[in-house]
Amino acid sequence: MITLTQGIMVSIFAIIAGADFWLEGFYIFRPMIVCTVTGMLLGDLRLGIVAGGLTELAFAGLTPVGGTQPPNPIMAGIMTVVLAHTTGHTPTTAIGLSLPFSILMQYIILFFYSAFSLLTKKLDEYADQAETGKFARLVITPTVIVSVVYGLFTFLCIYAAQAPMKGLVNAMPTWLSHGFEIAGGILPAVGFAMLLKSMLKGKYVPYLLLGFTAACFIKFGNLMPVAVIGIALAMIEFERAKNNRDTQQKLREVEENVANGGEEDGI
Amino acid sequence: MASKHTGKLTKKDIRMVGVRSIWNQSAMNYQRMQADGWTLAILPALKKIYGDDKKGLSDAIKGNLQFMNTNNYAAPLLMGLELSLEENGEDRETIDGLRVALFGPLAGIGDAITWFTILPIVAGITASFAKQGSILGPLLFFIVYLLLFLARIPIAQLGYSAGSKAVSQIRKDSAIVSHAASVLGCTVIGGLIATYVQITVKSKIAVTSTTTISIQKQFFDNIFPNILPLGYTFVLYYLVKKKNVSPVMLIIITFVLAIICSWLGIL
Repeated sequence: MITLTQGIMVSIFAIIAGADFWLEGFYIFRPMIVCTVTGMLLGDLRLGIVAGGLTELAFAGLTPVGGTQPPNPIMAGIMTVVLAHTTGHTPTTAIGLSLPFSILMQYIILFFYSAFSLLTKKLDEYADQAETGKFARLVITPTVIVSVVYGLFTFLCIYAAQAPMKGLVNAMPTWLSHGFEIAGGILPAVGFAMLLKSMLKGKYVPYLLLGFTAACFIKFGNLMPVAVIGIALAMIEFERAKNNRDTQQKLREVEENVANGGEEDGI
Repeated sequence: MASKHTGKLTKKDIRMVGVRSIWNQSAMNYQRMQADGWTLAILPALKKIYGDDKKGLSDAIKGNLQFMNTNNYAAPLLMGLELSLEENGEDRETIDGLRVALFGPLAGIGDAITWFTILPIVAGITASFAKQGSILGPLLFFIVYLLLFLARIPIAQLGYSAGSKAVSQIRKDSAIVSHAASVLGCTVIGGLIATYVQITVKSKIAVTSTTTISIQKQFFDNIFPNILPLGYTFVLYYLVKKKNVSPVMLIIITFVLAIICSWLGIL
């Protein structure tokens, strides 16, 4: 059960996190922070932290790189904690249940990307007259609009619609909720596949396999050993690539000299 | 003309550009992406450079209101660089040409470092704390990104002091730095796949009436641990890379498969 006060508090946090995601400033929009704060506001900090770790990984590869818009990390974080808190499902199951909210918010942001194109004409006019004050106010307006929408959307999802939602979740048969739990556990694969889409080339496959094998057989609480191996490999590669480039450059210079010399001889 | 504006910007102005670079995505839109927010970030500096020269200021603003889409940590570097050129009174075409030529390579190198290398490492390590319910996870995450935000200030100073000679350097080194970052990123993603994607087959095969073989323990784990997570990640990678399937579709596919497998009792 979410009380009115809790609903308002979480919605206010959503406004702040929403502005942060829009601007990509302090990364409090990442599920790690969103879940922790939401858990704290609902009086279940531990649930928030655990859900934060799980959801952060599920969203590791879903990044707004190059102006694309991923499923929304803020709504995923808030709804994972809220649903786990109110229905008693595990955070892993709740991640799955939170995704419709996350995807809906993603489309709202995409709509805004198109809508704010309408402002550019007015901004051009202000630029023409060097009206810097009006220009600044109009450029900040989208951030304010987006933040407010985050607040309203969150309040609607977690407070206003909580009774029917809880009923829906509780009416699920076990095989369905277990399915959601399995999906929550596999979900990080989607994020990693997206990361690999931008990064993986044939020449990087060996490093992926090295990292994978290292993590399989090094039994340690966190990924630090793999990260250190990765840093070592990156340093080796950096030196090698730099030397390679310098050699190539010298080679080209020599070739040019030879070519020039040859021409002179010919003439 | 050349030295008309030199010495107008103080060290504090450049530090403020680093902080103000947070406005870069304030009016994000499909028409020219970050251009409006970008201009807002450097607006006070431009005002200071052009002073009473309304025409010069208006031209500078209009020049900056062209399509711009770069990484948010690379933006302050480019802002500092541009302002040093504005201050030196370089002509409009030179400044705008350099900015347009550089935002692409900088976006590539910035994304490779921040989204594809730092985020997976920080997420992977802090999530291992958070999953045990330790506040250290979110706390560490928050501190890392707070420091990264503060790093915008020295990044802006770097761009400003490097000035135009930075241009050839960025072009020269960006490929090598991206390469090293990709090596590190791919190693860590390999480790993340092994650690955080969970697929465990429940099915058992009855050999005789009393003994059964667990497919997971006696088959998959004996080939290689975590072979299913790696395999499934590559299936998703293939879909997104070669078949251009959207991330939302990948999520839906994962859920449908998980729910079917749950219903059949396989997972």
